[in-house]
Amino acid sequence: MGATLTYTEIELVQGLQARDEKIFSYLYDHYSPALYGVALKIVTDEASAGDVLQEVFIKIWRNIDRYDASKGRLFTWMLNIARNTAIDSLRSKAHKLDQKVQDVTSTSLMYEPQLAVHLPVDHLGLTKVIDGLPKDQRIIIDLAYFKGCTQEEIAKVLEIPLGTVKTRMRNAIIQLRILLKQL
Amino acid sequence: MDAQYFISSGLIELYAAGMASEQEVQELEAAMRQFPEVAAAVETYRRNMEEYVSLQRLTPEAAVKTSLFNQINNEPDLQDSLQKTDQQMQQPKLVSMTETKSLSWKWIAAASAALLIGSLILNYVFFNRYKEFKEYKDKYQSLLLSQNSILSKENLYKTRLEQMQQSLDVIQDPDVMKVKMPGTKAFPEAMATVFWNQSSKQVYVKVNKLPEPAADKQYQLWAIVDGKPVSMGVFEMGDTAQLLQKMQITGAAQMFAVTLEKKGGAAAPTMEQMYVAGKVPG
Repeated sequence: MGATLTYTEIELVQGLQARDEKIFSYLYDHYSPALYGVALKIVTDEASAGDVLQEVFIKIWRNIDRYDASKGRLFTWMLNIARNTAIDSLRSKAHKLDQKVQDVTSTSLMYEPQLAVHLPVDHLGLTKVIDGLPKDQRIIIDLAYFKGCTQEEIAKVLEIPLGTVKTRMRNAIIQLRILLKQL
Repeated sequence: MDAQYFISSGLIELYAAGMASEQEVQELEAAMRQFPEVAAAVETYRRNMEEYVSLQRLTPEAAVKTSLFNQINNEPDLQDSLQKTDQQMQQPKLVSMTETKSLSWKWIAAASAALLIGSLILNYVFFNRYKEFKEYKDKYQSLLLSQNSILSKENLYKTRLEQMQQSLDVIQDPDVMKVKMPGTKAFPEAMATVFWNQSSKQVYVKVNKLPEPAADKQYQLWAIVDGKPVSMGVFEMGDTAQLLQKMQITGAAQMFAVTLEKKGGAAAPTMEQMYVAGKVPG
């Protein structure tokens, strides 16, 4: 999405630190779909995902001074806030491990473009990636990245040895990388 | 350990997916500082994950943005909050509000559950107590009943004992003369005894064996004084017959006899109905 930006990351960070609401509005318009997608993937219902998204942007607005450009890109930082906030929200709702797995498998319906409520902008690219990833690899990425499951938890819920979790995860990321290069 | 070791270890993939353990994270972050190739590899995988995430983007409802900006504008102190400590920053109001809400809800639910459980336990306890109480009440009533019957029996025995004592007193008096009255020829099985106090002249009769008379009949004791029968009165049968029965007084008698007469007694004895008779010894 770099091509569509009219501000560089440094300009955005400086604008936010100066409490520039115009910059904040721009940031929201450009990054909220990706962050909302993450939140929805984690909490699975739209109302909770909306709440999480609002909380995420309030944290960004308040804590921008804690962002350290030397440690990573702004998007990475915001993505981590979104993941952590959504996972915390999930935990506070006392989601069980089984629930996490069920969520991942049931929301995989959203990969089917005709079943999605909101058509993702890049759904053609997404479909290509999803179709290229075997289901067991996709589930392992989603459990780890979106649900914050540990290796041990994944091994337990998928009933596979810990070593297999690591191998399958690695293969999944390598496969993902190949698919992304083809886009 | 060199950069290639980390790149081929599979650790970077786990790290990028957020699945590395704490120890692995520390190990890899140390390697990232040491080897630029490792840091670059981590960044590549991180971008891959971010691209994968971005592919799944969805536009949120417009209301979220409106609400967000309302909240930011309604907190003017935020504009000057640059100097706030990190600690305060980490506790945004929104979060604490929802936490309080969910906390109070949890407390209420926990309290309700505790109350319900408490109530169930008390129900159980009191129901058991009630059952025990009922059981005890029944037992108490039956005990009361049996105590009453024991008491009345006791009274009966006491009375009986007193009567026996009286009988015994009569018999043990050294002035009492015992007159045995065996059965007559017509009633050889019958037997009765007269106890006659020589000083008070009081006559008592004890039935040893006499058949139970019809309801309209009664036995009558006679003293034969100088060849003439003198009525000493009628006496009871049944339970009373086991005791000494006080009859009338006579100063002299040569013989005693019992006849069966009509109820209340007769003026003269019916000789055919004489059951027992006995001579006064001496």
